[in-house]
Amino acid sequence: MSDLKLRVKEMIIERLKLEGMTPDQIEDGAPLFGDGLGLDSIDALELVLGIEQVFGVKIEDEAAGLKAFKSVQALTDFIAEHAKA
Amino acid sequence: MTDIQAHLPHRYPFLLVDRVLEREPGLRVLAEKLITFGEPYLQGHFEGRPLVPGVLLLEMLAQAGGFLESDSLHGAAIFLAGVQDARFKAPALPGDRLRLEVRAEGAFAGMLKVRGVVSCEGRELCTAALLVKRL
Repeated sequence: MSDLKLRVKEMIIERLKLEGMTPDQIEDGAPLFGDGLGLDSIDALELVLGIEQVFGVKIEDEAAGLKAFKSVQALTDFIAEHAKA
Repeated sequence: MTDIQAHLPHRYPFLLVDRVLEREPGLRVLAEKLITFGEPYLQGHFEGRPLVPGVLLLEMLAQAGGFLESDSLHGAAIFLAGVQDARFKAPALPGDRLRLEVRAEGAFAGMLKVRGVVSCEGRELCTAALLVKRL
């Protein structure tokens, strides 16, 4: 698992208080919302705030969110692409 | 001075903001609620020992948070969607001048998160984060 992907999973677990869950239990390709982790719109806002705080990356609107929240892999790619070097 | 009833649709006995002291829409609101023995809910909470219910302190923060919106909330579909990290540290009593301070923490897809503090004479009585959904 890449270092960034592991940090993304740790941020999701901590920010959403997914107690008892470990990073290796979150599948890279599973959807974050709906059938996958089953997150809701409050979780979406928490993730937006967490991503900004931990990685300095802003998810500006719903279109960006739709892309970034497709899966952990998509979110990791989104952060890698937008993080300031 | 902000016209409270023009902005909020809440009315007696559920209008829980008396004054707005400072207001930066989208960022921060500082408001006040004065507590008296005349509050209707103090008749039963509790007999012989009136204190403001904790859930009403959260409601005060939510109503104060309504002033983060620039436009009047009459006819707006805005609802409380969640409460996080609520702490009730000391009781609010008749005679208290409650200071309601609310700050916007972030928003995404119609969901807004605010942090609020109810304090009285420099002492924190209640702190909480509120999630508000705009449909």
